[in-house]
Amino acid sequence: MIYSDMDSNFQKYLKTEWGLSAVDIVNLEPFFHSEEAKKGDILVRKGSRGRSFYFVEEGMLRMYDISEDGREHILHFAPENWILGDRGSVYFDEPAFFYIDAIEDTLIVRFDLAMMDQLTNLCPDFRENNDLLLHNHIRHLNRRINLLQGATARTRYLNFIELYPDVLLRVPQWMVASYLGIAPESLSRVRRELAKENFKP
Amino acid sequence: MKTKNVEMVMKPREAHYVGDGFRVHNFIPSGYGLTMQRMDPFIMLDYNSKFHFSGTEKPRGVGVHPHRGFETVTIAYQGKVAHHDSSGGGGVIGEGDVQWMTAASGVLHKEYHERAWSKEGGDFQMVQLWVNLPAKDKMSPPKYQSLENKDINRYELENGMGEIEVIAGKYNGVKGSASTFTPVHLYNAHLKNGGSADFSLPANYNTALLVIEGGVKINNGEHVPTDHFVLMGNEGENFSVEATEDSLVLVMSGEPIGEPIAAQGPFVMNTKAELAQAMRDFNMGQFGFLED
Repeated sequence: MIYSDMDSNFQKYLKTEWGLSAVDIVNLEPFFHSEEAKKGDILVRKGSRGRSFYFVEEGMLRMYDISEDGREHILHFAPENWILGDRGSVYFDEPAFFYIDAIEDTLIVRFDLAMMDQLTNLCPDFRENNDLLLHNHIRHLNRRINLLQGATARTRYLNFIELYPDVLLRVPQWMVASYLGIAPESLSRVRRELAKENFKP
Repeated sequence: MKTKNVEMVMKPREAHYVGDGFRVHNFIPSGYGLTMQRMDPFIMLDYNSKFHFSGTEKPRGVGVHPHRGFETVTIAYQGKVAHHDSSGGGGVIGEGDVQWMTAASGVLHKEYHERAWSKEGGDFQMVQLWVNLPAKDKMSPPKYQSLENKDINRYELENGMGEIEVIAGKYNGVKGSASTFTPVHLYNAHLKNGGSADFSLPANYNTALLVIEGGVKINNGEHVPTDHFVLMGNEGENFSVEATEDSLVLVMSGEPIGEPIAAQGPFVMNTKAELAQAMRDFNMGQFGFLED
């Protein structure tokens, strides 16, 4: 058990998302590991081999790449209750394509495909439901590509705050700009415009 | 009237940085069980114990961030803090000054070491205390009460043994300089070596002390050294603080508001829905805009 007296976010996730009982979770325990990452710790390094997924219990991770000109491009933020992993390395045993690091002190639950197999045994609908989650994820990614191809900075920003309501409060502006694929100055401009429209002192 | 006894004496926990300008020990709400509910209406206390910052051209501090639903009380003991907000307000909190900021419906601001002070560097010592607002006042308009040290009302102790600066509330008939939304007493007790002060505060008020300088005994009991925090119990009213050397003690006492608390980062509201609304309002620019 992660905490003795109350459900962790991970336990809540297993119960609500997969309908697991407390006994099921005890049976699943050998397949997941609670760990702490300090702000700045790199969990996955591009080119490394590792087959882990990370559930964020508390704190925040990000997944990113560094382009040829040395700039960081953030693909995902993962605050509480998100799961992050380099799918190339988890599912295809390739060297990781992305970096994953902690942008806050973070409590994580690490697991790999063996836990997914165990979940299949414990939860008859697992594969079917997981398919749906996967399609939902792909749907989001498609929309994201679409935004990156043609949407204005403002539209990208408005989508971002729907998906990540509290991330702007927790990370530096340049990281948000990196995620949005816009210059930090453009993010400033969008936020200044919104304030002009909505701020009534 | 009964004696109010010490419930717990706490040493400062490991310091962490807020931005790069505030090296603080948190006492409320994390660690030691000093939760927002236990300390109601005091929901956060960060203490920058005396720390030397070297001189720098680029002032250290904490960048743009919002607040909603409560008040921030900044007490500068050493060093100077400059602040700016998205309404164009700003100022400097100098040594001995207190800024009582009612964030209420929303303030977007930044806080830095004052430029000239930062250039020289020096010892920096400060308290930031958050005082919760009752539901009916959480969305009231923001305001500042800037109290310069010379304007803070004082009670002189007998025989020149010190003085009590009454920041808020009342002490022996002297009214506090700041107005509050719910009953709160906040004092800086300056005590000469051997001097003592008596306090009488309602039993149900949550009451605590922070030793800023020197060392004291409470009710002639155990010795409390510098930078330690004392939680007083909720039975009895009267206690005394005796200085074992020249001392400065921050005394806080407040009537519990007794409403549900929903807190996330810089927002403290009553419900999760209000927190989500605060987040949305911040993201949509309703707190205004301020360059970092």
